[in-house]
Amino acid sequence: MRAALVATGALIIGWGGWLLWPHLTPAASVAGWSLAGPVVHDLLLAPAVGLLGVIVTAAVPPRWRVPVAAGLVVSGVLVLLALPGLLRPSAGPPNPGLADRNYPFGLVAALAVTWLLVLAAGALPPPRRLRARFRSRQRPRQTRPMPGLSRIRRPRRSARPRPGR
Amino acid sequence: MRIPTETGFTRSAHDARVTARVGLWLGVAFGVCFVTGLLSHGIQHPPGWFDWPTRPVSLYRITQGLHVVSGVAAIPLLLAKLWSVYPLLFARPVVRSVAHAVERGSVLLLIGAASFELITGLLNVFQAYPWRFFFPPVHYAVGWIAIGSMIVHLGVKLPRVLDGLRRPVTDEPAPARPGALGRRAFLGVTALAAGAAVLATAGATVPWLRRVSVLAWTSGTGPQGLPVNRTAAAAGVTADPGWRLEVVWPGGSRTLSLDELAAMDQRTAELPIACVEGWSASATWTGVPVSWLLAAAGAPAGRPVHVESLERDGLYARSVLPPAHASDELTLLALAVNGERLSLDHGFPARIIAPSRPGVLQTKWVRRLEVK
Repeated sequence: MRAALVATGALIIGWGGWLLWPHLTPAASVAGWSLAGPVVHDLLLAPAVGLLGVIVTAAVPPRWRVPVAAGLVVSGVLVLLALPGLLRPSAGPPNPGLADRNYPFGLVAALAVTWLLVLAAGALPPPRRLRARFRSRQRPRQTRPMPGLSRIRRPRRSARPRPGR
Repeated sequence: MRIPTETGFTRSAHDARVTARVGLWLGVAFGVCFVTGLLSHGIQHPPGWFDWPTRPVSLYRITQGLHVVSGVAAIPLLLAKLWSVYPLLFARPVVRSVAHAVERGSVLLLIGAASFELITGLLNVFQAYPWRFFFPPVHYAVGWIAIGSMIVHLGVKLPRVLDGLRRPVTDEPAPARPGALGRRAFLGVTALAAGAAVLATAGATVPWLRRVSVLAWTSGTGPQGLPVNRTAAAAGVTADPGWRLEVVWPGGSRTLSLDELAAMDQRTAELPIACVEGWSASATWTGVPVSWLLAAAGAPAGRPVHVESLERDGLYARSVLPPAHASDELTLLALAVNGERLSLDHGFPARIIAPSRPGVLQTKWVRRLEVK
């Protein structure tokens, strides 16, 4: 099964390469735009996300962590999606009705709605179901005097039978 | 600064249960993109065995809408997936064996091809082309490479994927340092981000989201109520008072003036125009059904019809109506849209509008119909 998947995938990659070959002009442009994603993600985006995660964990009170983290993630995605509309690098000749929205305003409006929802989610009491789960997640953190100790305790906790198994 | 190691990442998001689920969602999004992309390619470059139906009239609008919407949703999904597996980037030793090197290479190919498709696709719908290659064939070919390397990746990781999917996502046991989001919360936020991305853009093709989608690549309106994808100025077409429509078939031909066309029986139909670039809009078109026109001229029915534009050099200066579309009474040689005579930008004096076809094949400024 696994070998069949790998072989099928390799054949499809080969077909794609065969189709791509005559259009690799200029090859540097295709290669550059293929590597841009991994390089920008691995060197810029992911470290930035990690840093933000550390800041949120350290500086935001527990109750606000999920709403704030969600707000940051959604904001980041909205900014990425707005970039082509805001910048329009090497755009073709103008076409009436296309790329015709007010993108700076649109982005600000979308971010405003996002953070209003973050405020609402953080300020309103969570539904009962979530509250119970939230409390259960808080407990281990409170009974953790030292970071080293929790690592020793962990196997015992996971050895507990999991519900639904 | 110290380079992190694979085991230095302890947050909840870097867990096989999370990775497998985000990967599944991403796989579905890419699968939808791939299939709908293949359909769009097939309609534009039909192999002999390929037939595309004329009903429902919105079929192409739906498939191409799915293409761009699932592509947009895949952007946050891909980012979440990459964050989930980010620790593997720092695996040491960098390469353990030949097989390991090949596997890491295939992952780079997958990420490169997948991000290429999403980045170029998003720029293309905004009609931005900051590259020097020709977009359509490269986007098509790299789509095959992305899907192929996804299947390879699935083959390599299958046991881990199945194991990850089988185990329920709980926040127990909590990792040593849980991070900002627990496992469930990470999945929830990922789904939320994908939903927000869709809401912010899908109005380009979903009419009831037009006012919500502030980042959509079209407002859905324009001159005479429709966006224009290629202006007469860009196509080098000017209004010609002496315009005549040529209708040609094996063994005969006929020319018609605009007045003669306007005097023929007309039909009005509500049809969408759906661009390959992922916007679509409905309009009320009035014109002569191509099948009526051919019958009145005495041309044979049930054959493909080659349409030629006044535009001389453009890639889309000609199109072929397959027999199914040529004989469909909703395929119009339109003279008017939304109650007004076509403006020059919308294809004056006459344009093709057919059900369930990509916009680039709805040839404008028609000068000749040839039955083959």
